[in-house]
Amino acid sequence: MTRLSVTHLIKRYPQAALPAVQDVSFEVEDGEILALVGPSGCGKTTTLRLIAGLERPDAGSICLNGQEVASDTRFIPPEQRGVGMVFQDHALFPHLNAHDNIAFGLRRWRPAEARQVVDDMLKLVGLAPLARRFPHTLSGGERQRVALARALAPRPVLVLMDEPFSSLDTDLRLEMREQVRSLLKTMQASVVFVTHDQEEAMYMGDRLGVFKSGSLEQIGTPEQIYQTSATRFVAEFMGNSSFVAGEVTPAGIWTELGLLSQAVDLPAAAAVEVAVRADDIDFQPHPVGNGVIIDRSFRGMHNLYRLRLDSGLELRAFKEHTTILPVGERVHARINAGHPLCVFPDTAKG
Amino acid sequence: MKRGNSLILPAWLSRRFDAHPVRRPARLPLPVPLAGVAGLVALFVAIPVVYIFLRAAGADLDDWQRLLQARIWSLLGNTLLLVAAVTGGALVIGVSMAWLTERTDLPGRKVLRWMFAMPLAIPAYIGGIVHLALLRPRGGLLPQMLESLFGQPVLTPSPLGFLGAAFILTLFTFPYVYLLSAAAFRSQHASLEEAARTLGCKSWQAVLFVTLPALRPGLLAGALLVALDILAEYGTVALLRYETFSSAIFVQLSGRYDRSAASVLSGVLVALAMIILWTELRVQGQARFTQMDGSWRPAPLTALGRWRFPMLTLALSVVFASLLVPVGVLLAWSVVALLDPQTLQEVVRTGSRGFLSFALNSLWTSALAALVAVTLSLPVAVFSVRHPSRISRFVARFCQVGYAIPGVVIALSLVLLVNRAAPVLYGTPFVVVIAYVLRHMPQAVRASEAALNQLSPALEEAARISGRTALQAFRQVTLPLILPGLLAGGALVFLTSLKELPATLLLRPAGFDTLAVRVWVWAADGFDAQAAPAALLLVLASATPLFFLLRREQLFK
Repeated sequence: MTRLSVTHLIKRYPQAALPAVQDVSFEVEDGEILALVGPSGCGKTTTLRLIAGLERPDAGSICLNGQEVASDTRFIPPEQRGVGMVFQDHALFPHLNAHDNIAFGLRRWRPAEARQVVDDMLKLVGLAPLARRFPHTLSGGERQRVALARALAPRPVLVLMDEPFSSLDTDLRLEMREQVRSLLKTMQASVVFVTHDQEEAMYMGDRLGVFKSGSLEQIGTPEQIYQTSATRFVAEFMGNSSFVAGEVTPAGIWTELGLLSQAVDLPAAAAVEVAVRADDIDFQPHPVGNGVIIDRSFRGMHNLYRLRLDSGLELRAFKEHTTILPVGERVHARINAGHPLCVFPDTAKG
Repeated sequence: MKRGNSLILPAWLSRRFDAHPVRRPARLPLPVPLAGVAGLVALFVAIPVVYIFLRAAGADLDDWQRLLQARIWSLLGNTLLLVAAVTGGALVIGVSMAWLTERTDLPGRKVLRWMFAMPLAIPAYIGGIVHLALLRPRGGLLPQMLESLFGQPVLTPSPLGFLGAAFILTLFTFPYVYLLSAAAFRSQHASLEEAARTLGCKSWQAVLFVTLPALRPGLLAGALLVALDILAEYGTVALLRYETFSSAIFVQLSGRYDRSAASVLSGVLVALAMIILWTELRVQGQARFTQMDGSWRPAPLTALGRWRFPMLTLALSVVFASLLVPVGVLLAWSVVALLDPQTLQEVVRTGSRGFLSFALNSLWTSALAALVAVTLSLPVAVFSVRHPSRISRFVARFCQVGYAIPGVVIALSLVLLVNRAAPVLYGTPFVVVIAYVLRHMPQAVRASEAALNQLSPALEEAARISGRTALQAFRQVTLPLILPGLLAGGALVFLTSLKELPATLLLRPAGFDTLAVRVWVWAADGFDAQAAPAALLLVLASATPLFFLLRREQLFK
């Protein structure tokens, strides 16, 4: 069943030249976690707030559980939408203790039932002993869990999470996201999760939606996004790709790294860019070669080299940890991927 | 870490690193009821100003001509001269004392901080009464003492006229600049001065070229508030016989009953005040660069070395003149009054003319004004902070006009308006309360705005998501959390209402005396000793809320 469907959503701010959200459509299935990812200011948080009812869309519609909650003619206020939200800074009510914070959304429930749910939630997030503590006496991770419990307690149709781990430090963030993901899966919650961290998005999301300046560039599983990026931006943002210029020939794509024998759906002589990652490049020392080593950093399991090709393009390339070559050495670099690479028309060259 | 938001200081200074990040305004449908209520409040506040301008514009051409020929220009000269002198004096004393307590190793600087702030509890006219009694050329205590000591008259500086008024007013307004600059000195990054030092500045050059310029917008805002205060000042200038717009209007109103001339003068005065207020609001908006953030650490103290003793003497003489002398003399007089049976009888007489009834009148009018002002400020603050737009900003700005309407002008417009529109109110103490509310509304609005600004809107959003309507979210989440800030705002309104003299004098019903009125009337009649207990009580009543307000400041923790 479809929990959330967003169609042709548009949101403009008066002073801004471009819309904050531009014709965005997607769906979230029952029990699915959708991670929206993109650089800051790309419209992902605005999308979340539109779903919550904290902002009003300029066009498009939002359906929750099959019921229309926002469209040109309807606007259901946030309190009637039945969604749960975990805020970036947690937004715990400082005048209420952990128990009462979680109980806040259960006002209409029978008291005994509500108490039971709160106790269950506290146990579930491992905070039962801290039920009477006030937010300022809790640690960052504990606050995070109270916020999550508060959002989940009323059994919301949909859980919205706005960069929930951004206020935690790195170690805690890694630990929390494991806990949170398994908890969400246990409760079979449907979730829209917003983050600017690609790795976090790939970890948390069953599917990913990549945003760029207000538009959804691509939506799909982490593997799809990583391996068959739909646009140059997705390849660059999600995969740390470099781009090598090439030209389409009948035999494949001719680049300065040699011929890439891969069929593309483009006319011959079209200018293209090939997205390559550090593990797609191999190189050997060569007296003539096509580039030079400008930097090497030892990463334990492998060496990460930076090469400057004679065209001026800089690339990164992995080598096994035993292969140590001096900076300044001339090398011959070539593509050695073992799988199809993403190819994009070179818009700069028309 | 949640810090109390400052009220004595402008909002920008208290906006610390824990404040929530600026968020795009939520574009929920414009809250029509809220906007309506906020608009009504602004309208209520605006009525007296608009009315005064209408009256001034509608005055007889003859009146204008008569006033333009002579009075206005000399009054304008007098007023501007005093404003410039006091503002300058307050800046020099305030900033230098702040530098001494915050950036040097001056001994006793923790105690001195309190000593420099407490004169805020002493109304300038009470300070004036004391200094006048001490220094009066004929019959002053100091000249008499010197004469008996040396056997011949010794020339002492007279507190009357321009110099006296400037001296007294500087003594009792510098604390505002002091608090502002001390807080700014404190919140400034140590790295700022250190950067200047690494770039080759000597220590004093760093202060002069980096520290002070960085504080400039904040200080300017403080100076402009002092200027507005001086424009509105009546008691001190009347006492020291220096004629300004305020005192001239008062005379027209109470002596000659020439309301037309009073309206013309008021129009000019308010126009002048509006210019200053407008500048202040603009400066305040820009004054953002002394905020604390996570990497803040205190600047190193300058060692005064052999200047220690002279600087301490300087600081103590300021404390002496602005705090110890007035309080000491009031104490001494009070003892005299309470020991003298006849004066004692005057002071403690029961009934409507008794001491207790003055105190009660002061308390209930000021407390009611505080309650009303804070209540009215809430919709305005919520509208401007949570729904920022051109309209809401305009409404909030409009509620600041009270700063620019001196007590005498409020009195004049209320006399005229109430007579015409609500004669039922005429001759009741409620007119006095309305005047307090109108005059001190800006402080309430600023306090409520500051309190709301410190509260992350995500809390209200979380309440909405949990099924509360906007109003329920406000009642259950926002209100309990901003209550301390609102109480502080109320305390500030209470404190300033207690001290308000001219509006009370002109608007009170016959026989309705407050502490401020009684002190003034007794002192004007020369019964200094009789006035002293009332004055002392007034100072104490002001000092109590001030103490709690100051305790909220970072400076006094």
